[in-house]
Amino acid sequence: MSQANNASNTQPEAATSVGEQIQLGTGTGLRKKKKPSAGPDQKSFWKRASKQKALLLMSIPFVIWLIVFKYIPIAGWLMAFQDYKPQFGFLEQDWVGLDHFKDLFNEPMFYTALENTLGMGILGLIFGTASAIVFALLLNELRFMVVKKWTQTISYLPHFVSWVIAANIVITMLSQEGIINNLLTGMGFIDNPINFMAMPEMFWGIVTAADVWKETGWNAIIYLAAMAGVDPQLYEAAKVDGASRIRQMWHITLPSIRSVIIVLLILNIGNLINIGFEKQMLLGNNIVQEKALVIDLYALDYGIGMFRYSFGTAIGIFKSVISVILILICNGFAKKIGEGRVF
Amino acid sequence: MAKKLSKWLHAVLILFTLIALAACSDGETSKEAENEEEGSSDEPITLTFFNADGGEEKTFDDPVAKKITEETGIKLEMDYPVGGNDEAIPLMIASGEYPDLIFAKGDIGKLIEAGGVIKLDDLIEEKGENLKAMYGDQLDRLRNSLDDPSIYTVGTYGVENAYWSTSGTFQIQLDVLRELGYPKIRTLEDFEAALTEYYEKYPEIDGQKTIPLSLLGSDWRWLITVGDPAGFAAGFAGDGQWVVDEEAGEATYKFLRPELKEYFKWLNSMNAKGLLDPESFTHTYDTYISKLSSGRVLSIADQDWNFTDADKALVADGKEWRTYAPLPVTISEEYTSKSLKNYGFAGGWGIAISSTSEYQEEAFEFLDWMASEEAQILVNWGIEGEHYDIVDGKRVMQEEDRERMNSDADYSKETGVGYYVYPFPQWGNGAVDSSGQPITPNSEEQTIANFNSAEKEALKEYEMENWVDWFPQTEDLGISKHGQAFNYSIPAGSELQIIQQKADDLTEQRITQAILGDPANFDQAWDDMITELEAMNIEKANELMSQKVKDTMELWGTNE
Repeated sequence: MSQANNASNTQPEAATSVGEQIQLGTGTGLRKKKKPSAGPDQKSFWKRASKQKALLLMSIPFVIWLIVFKYIPIAGWLMAFQDYKPQFGFLEQDWVGLDHFKDLFNEPMFYTALENTLGMGILGLIFGTASAIVFALLLNELRFMVVKKWTQTISYLPHFVSWVIAANIVITMLSQEGIINNLLTGMGFIDNPINFMAMPEMFWGIVTAADVWKETGWNAIIYLAAMAGVDPQLYEAAKVDGASRIRQMWHITLPSIRSVIIVLLILNIGNLINIGFEKQMLLGNNIVQEKALVIDLYALDYGIGMFRYSFGTAIGIFKSVISVILILICNGFAKKIGEGRVF
Repeated sequence: MAKKLSKWLHAVLILFTLIALAACSDGETSKEAENEEEGSSDEPITLTFFNADGGEEKTFDDPVAKKITEETGIKLEMDYPVGGNDEAIPLMIASGEYPDLIFAKGDIGKLIEAGGVIKLDDLIEEKGENLKAMYGDQLDRLRNSLDDPSIYTVGTYGVENAYWSTSGTFQIQLDVLRELGYPKIRTLEDFEAALTEYYEKYPEIDGQKTIPLSLLGSDWRWLITVGDPAGFAAGFAGDGQWVVDEEAGEATYKFLRPELKEYFKWLNSMNAKGLLDPESFTHTYDTYISKLSSGRVLSIADQDWNFTDADKALVADGKEWRTYAPLPVTISEEYTSKSLKNYGFAGGWGIAISSTSEYQEEAFEFLDWMASEEAQILVNWGIEGEHYDIVDGKRVMQEEDRERMNSDADYSKETGVGYYVYPFPQWGNGAVDSSGQPITPNSEEQTIANFNSAEKEALKEYEMENWVDWFPQTEDLGISKHGQAFNYSIPAGSELQIIQQKADDLTEQRITQAILGDPANFDQAWDDMITELEAMNIEKANELMSQKVKDTMELWGTNE
């Protein structure tokens, strides 16, 4: 469900940016001019509202969904300032102020978890985005339709494989009798098999690589859709001017999808700290634990798992605050360089 | 292409949303329908039962289950946590929706605190005839704590256990014993020598590389195959992560003890010599079992229940000589193995009835019935004429059933024989029924009869009847007055719980790294770990646990 959510959040962005492209081609400014004059005027506001009646109606269910599922639960944040016990009512709890936050910030394990979360988050963001864009570019250049479609389908199949299975595949491949070690020893690169899963310093890399393998095809879809919206006339003009395929990629395709890339980046950076814990939990073991512990797993083991709902909530609040700060920074940055922003 | 693609994408998204919505609404209607069904009185009552132990999905329709339903009018709907995770009970409490019967293991304290389970004292007093008969004077051991001495759970461990088998010690392949002329293996040194000798002779078994010693330290089973055997080798009793000195009423976090360091140092040297499976701490449970099943692992340190599947697979493949014999191995002669120690009825864990259940009375009657002689014979032996016969007034398992029991991992699941014993109230294997016969099929006679051909031959060579013969005997080890420390319910979110969890997380990681590291660095790594443990205030946890041990002995009346 959350996957579908993510996609549905980002999809309209792609659509508008494709729309912008077309506008740019035909004639700019006309619509934009109207906006500021219409804003403060009450009458024209209602007029405009009635004009967009259908659109507004359509958005109502989503606004309600947002309020019910995203805003109302925020009231639960109060739990972080209580010593919450589920058997009592919400208002019968003991209030403890900032105790849980103090506990949290005094806990060395928390900083390990934070470091790992941000580390794997950033790696995943960089390699995830780069691989998806490169893959989309390559696919976009394929002129042989059948191959293109097949490649695309095959590439996003791993996305539908659950992490439980994917993690087992990865562990088996990397085991000492696994295919990777067989290849490396067989080709004479190494003498003794490497125990990849027992090397803490490799863990971030393994997680990132597994993630890239699993999600590249899926993530490329949105870039492909954006690329498909680029005006063919631009390519034709470039060809007339003698631009090679590589030049066309560099000067037309990439700049055309720049706003999509930036919007997706901002959204992903906001989620940098929400990388989940399935991968880390399923791929991790006791040896690599200090590189595998992420905030969500910490919250689960030391929060909910120990019945410390308040402590878990405190971690949740901390995460939300970090996310908001990250988004604001990126959005500000995007504003500065004059690119498409989230808000 | 562009239009086509994005249209297609939209279609998929809409489809997802619809499916999600449909799935939600579907769930609700089916639940309602179920409730209506339960309303009618002739139908058997379905009780939902949560088993924290994990297990395969199973429906309540095997022959034994049908018989239970026939006798009691109760059907069980069994539910397990996915992958044996720890969060099932807390999530249950958070949602406020409980199954009728809950086997929460160590999480029972959380349920009591949350008011999720009911007190059973009055029910036992009023109509718990069978339970009263079963527990007798051990009933006190079911009590919760000094502050709240009520009974919330019944079951899990057998009352009146006898010790005809060991579990959790080092186990060595019978073929190693045979090949080396049945040597005496008593210390780690003997053990290592035997493995080395056999390994040099047979570097490969059936075309695959021989593994002298394999452990399973990649998940929670670290405690079973790495942590516990360390304590056993040091001659400690099975108190989980604790060492308890009953005389002084003192509990110590196990890994602080120097004996444990000695053991792990040995493991470290085993690893350096290439005798320890290098994947011991990374392979998954399935891989581990498949290695064992292939017959190329010479020795393990594991609980029987953890590798029964492998054992059965080996027997089914005709590789009896590749199955394992338990060894009374300790670090050196001065320590004695406590494998046969009598812990008394352990109390602590058990099945509770939820406070929200509509069928509390029925659920209790069901649990009480499970404690009856009739029920115990049914769940242990199956149905007369189908799974066992009465020969000369004695119960005897049918030949086919006995064979399948020892070689078919699905036997219990398919027939239900033996499936409903643990964690329900159960008589131990030393108990006898009203006619003087053992109530479980695990009598010493049966245990010996169930040994495979290779085991029998090896035992004959050693001039023993049973493997337990070479362990220090139960009578000599004394009875535990405090039960087993790992079995205590520790208050959720308490300092003791938090420190222990942190300490466990740390030791699992540091000890593993030390074992796999360079032997030259072992001492340093160990000392660093102790320093880290001290920084976690492990002393405080020792104090709290000592108090807990004292309280338990007071509650049970065993402190005099």
